Amino acid sequence: MRTFFTTALVAASLSATSLTMAADRPSHPSDIQFSELNFTPPMASDFRHELSNGVPVFIAESHEFPLITIRFSFRGGEYMVPVERTGMSGLTGGLMRSGGTASMTPDKLDEEFDFLAANVSANIGDTTAGASLNCLTSNLDQAFGLFMEMIQNPRFDEDRFEIRRGQILESFESRNDAGIGIAIRELGYLMWGDEHFEGRQPTRETIESITIDDMKALHAKIFHPGNLMIAVTGDVDQGEILAFLEESMNSWSVGDISPEIPQPVQAYEPGVYYYEKDQPQVQVLIAHRGIERDDADAVDVEVMNQILGGSGFTSRITNTVRTQEGLAYTAGSVFSNRVDYPGMFMSYFFTKTATTALATRLVFGEIDKIQTEEATTEEIEIIQNSLVETFPRNFESKGAMMGLFMSDERTGRPDDYWQTYRDKVRAVSASDVQEAALEYLNPASAVIMVVGPVDEIKAGNAESEADANRISTMVEFFGGKSTVLPERDPESLKPVDSE
Amino acid sequence: MRTALLTAGAILATSSMAIAQQVEPIEYTLDNGMHFLLMPRDEQPNIITAGWISPVGSVNERPGITGVSHLLEHLLFKGTDNLGTSDAVADKQFRDDLTVIREQMRAHTLDVQYKRFYEGEIDNPWDPVHDTDELRDLRAQMTVLQDEQGAITIKNEFDKVYTGNGGSGMNAGTSNDFTVFYINVPSNKLELWAWMESDRLDNPSLRELDAERFVVIEERRQRLEATATGKLDEQFDSMFWVASPYNFPVIGWMSDLMAYTEDEIREYFETYYQPANLTGVIVGDFDVDEAKQLIDSYFGPLENKRAAAAPMVTHSVPLLGQLRYTGECDCQDQVEARYRSVAFGHPDEAAFDVISSLLNGRTGRLYKALVEDQEIAASARSSHRAQKYAGSFSFSATPKGDASLEDLEIAWLEQIDLLKSELVSERELQKIKNQAAADTFRGLQDNSSLFFQLAITEAYGSYEYLNEMPRAVQAVTAEDIQRVANEYFASDTRAVSMYTRKAGGEVALITIEEVEASLPEEMAAMIMSQIEPQLAQLDTLSAQELAEGLAEIEAQSEMVPPPMKKLMEFMKQEMQIRLDAIESNGADASEGGDE
Repeated sequence: MRTFFTTALVAASLSATSLTMAADRPSHPSDIQFSELNFTPPMASDFRHELSNGVPVFIAESHEFPLITIRFSFRGGEYMVPVERTGMSGLTGGLMRSGGTASMTPDKLDEEFDFLAANVSANIGDTTAGASLNCLTSNLDQAFGLFMEMIQNPRFDEDRFEIRRGQILESFESRNDAGIGIAIRELGYLMWGDEHFEGRQPTRETIESITIDDMKALHAKIFHPGNLMIAVTGDVDQGEILAFLEESMNSWSVGDISPEIPQPVQAYEPGVYYYEKDQPQVQVLIAHRGIERDDADAVDVEVMNQILGGSGFTSRITNTVRTQEGLAYTAGSVFSNRVDYPGMFMSYFFTKTATTALATRLVFGEIDKIQTEEATTEEIEIIQNSLVETFPRNFESKGAMMGLFMSDERTGRPDDYWQTYRDKVRAVSASDVQEAALEYLNPASAVIMVVGPVDEIKAGNAESEADANRISTMVEFFGGKSTVLPERDPESLKPVDSE
Repeated sequence: MRTALLTAGAILATSSMAIAQQVEPIEYTLDNGMHFLLMPRDEQPNIITAGWISPVGSVNERPGITGVSHLLEHLLFKGTDNLGTSDAVADKQFRDDLTVIREQMRAHTLDVQYKRFYEGEIDNPWDPVHDTDELRDLRAQMTVLQDEQGAITIKNEFDKVYTGNGGSGMNAGTSNDFTVFYINVPSNKLELWAWMESDRLDNPSLRELDAERFVVIEERRQRLEATATGKLDEQFDSMFWVASPYNFPVIGWMSDLMAYTEDEIREYFETYYQPANLTGVIVGDFDVDEAKQLIDSYFGPLENKRAAAAPMVTHSVPLLGQLRYTGECDCQDQVEARYRSVAFGHPDEAAFDVISSLLNGRTGRLYKALVEDQEIAASARSSHRAQKYAGSFSFSATPKGDASLEDLEIAWLEQIDLLKSELVSERELQKIKNQAAADTFRGLQDNSSLFFQLAITEAYGSYEYLNEMPRAVQAVTAEDIQRVANEYFASDTRAVSMYTRKAGGEVALITIEEVEASLPEEMAAMIMSQIEPQLAQLDTLSAQELAEGLAEIEAQSEMVPPPMKKLMEFMKQEMQIRLDAIESNGADASEGGDE
């Protein structure tokens, strides 16, 4: 070491720098006093209107730019497609946009939309379908006319159909490549069955059976005013756009309203299920029936699950399985709620073969702990603060807001849901969390879905683990009883004869 | 319906109405010269995008300090005299001690090691494997000091303070012409932003300088070596610009990355980051008077410590012939033809933008001709880039089937001939103008997009560009396009690069097998079992999350034990590849950003 500056010099130069700052400036950011963030969630009723045919229209004016966005949302989706045509909804929605209209070839339609600088989309999902238009205010008449023609009279052009179908079939070839894809598919079959839209999967057979007439029939069932809700945001006058939409409905006849979303009928057998796959790491999904979205206990369950495994590094499963034990990079839990029937609770982790059983034991340990001990005040407060602080982001833009209101009305959410949400979060107590865990976590009725090399997984970590307390095998779960699921052909998804 | 569409008059009326909109931020200038653009909007309640920009980038550098703009951008996240350490006095002592050692190492390297390099004895004067005894001794001393300093360093405190207060999307970017820093904060946290940003502008610590140098070297390796075309693009760019300092890569030449002294970095900081050189931009839900008060009390005391930065002097010289550059990489075969165009704000800029739009898109000329009709291209596009002091226009394409790169170049030349010989039809031109008008507004709707446009145009000249450019585009005529095509797309002065796939495949990319081989045996099985799920997880991340993840890995890189280095490089490579893929799809708001 050579010459160094003296400590005194250093201190002098430091105080010189800080002199340049204002006297009233807090010395550290943690000393700054911040004002409360005041936020009152908007009410859907302030934005809702109705056309004479009963179609609800949510309008939020914004005149900052001469742009309009119109979103049509229709009740209907894959759930209306017969099981032998599984996959038809996605194909139909995509071709509505790309396949031209009765009076225009696909190329011509693309050209017209481009000329009008209009961004247009169409899609059909599991339970809702939609179409959207974004264009300059001054082009609304022309662009909306084309948009309506696309919605009412799509051509389903033969060439574009062939191209799209080919792409879908090609994508099936890689369906057994990723272990997590297999795990989710097989869990879906187990939990929801192979007929309900939640569980079933498209195959080469179902896609090849779909005809243009089938798609036209599905389109006709869904895309009519009986199923329609509209959201408009942007540079519009509320009165004018209502009159404009009213006129556009004139010659559009109302069909039958899409049926109720079917309840799943599959009863599943709890237990351990394996799918054989030669891979160095194992995907484990531990799942059982969850709750309905609007269940009275839904907020308690949300806070409970965030503590258990739903809030990343803050949560217990992640902390135990990943941070402390280093058994997995991805580990956590989630409640996927459904509106019309109970959804699914799922805990998940990916680990190496030998520690599959140990990690599973740790997850069950965390479930047991949250059922038998109260969570700490600190744990609960962190989750409460986070849910309250991020709450305004639900209403971040007018488009997002109108979308939320449409979805809320379609799914029958209580009117005061958003108004009271934060109070409900703040009211959650330690005993509420424990009760929610006791009532809605049911490890005894879980399905443990495991994808990987089965024999090695079953053997556990006895050979590699020195600590006897950490030696674990899959015999620990469900008395060692398990089912090895048949391997499936990626395109047909039919069981292949093993050996 | 269809007849209405063909009524050009109606559509023309549309566009002129549409472009009457104005972007009108409130301008506010402090006595120290720091300029602010304030843009209160209530479209997205409770959130603010805030940041500041300096019109400094690699174009302001010189041989010997190339890449310093970018390194400085990294160092400004390393805390200040008071933030990022638990003992400010001891920390300052460590930094000064490290500076002394660093100077000694530099002097020795430039003297002894460079000589050995010129004489062919070693292949890289900066590589520690060639250390002399003296260098080895100094390096050991440095490591000891760094370890001791590390014990009182609060890692990533800058990041933690923001995150703990609801900040999100914190990042920065360096380009050839500007360096920009930004974050989203909740509306009640504007004072936090003012505190944090004025603090780092007042007394950045430049802590962890030596470690960060290696982080940037890693980043250089990632960007240029792990990405398929990176190394080749760097040389093609440099060749294309000839004399102009646009021939420096933003990240800097490797020799320079190792050589900066702390004095050089501080001088650069004090010159280009003094308040008179900066523009702050705040967009979103905030009160203007309150913002002005915070600006006064936090940014007001900042002092201009040096003379104003010298203007950029060296401009480029015209190309006098064709430049052709061929290379091999682990990439799709691809061709680019590039021309000199015009700088930001030049009267012909709008015509270039219109030409680019004519060529691009699903219904554009290149797709129709090269992809659909001739079926020789898998993809084809053009782009115009008007930088502060010069611009370039390029065509690029990848071949399909048996088509050669030369076939694509010929098809491109045919498209140019068409532009030169035939006037664009009224309808085709109007389509472009309609799209330009709509896209202008679409681009201003989101706070962060508006932030970038205000900041970058201000760094290039003036935000007024945002109001003037859309009008200029609407005024472009078919004759303008023909004239510009004839004037700039001369057949004898283009630069063409042709890259072909290297035989033997993946030489440059780190493979999983290499990672496995590099790991200690007892750890290999465990770690390898984690890689696949980690990669799957990466697939789900957004560009921002990837960038944050990369920054996080980079921040931790000096703590990684040697056996894990390869693994870390591999993970960074995989993140960078995914980030590049997202950004090349146009999702990145910060054009030319480099962080």
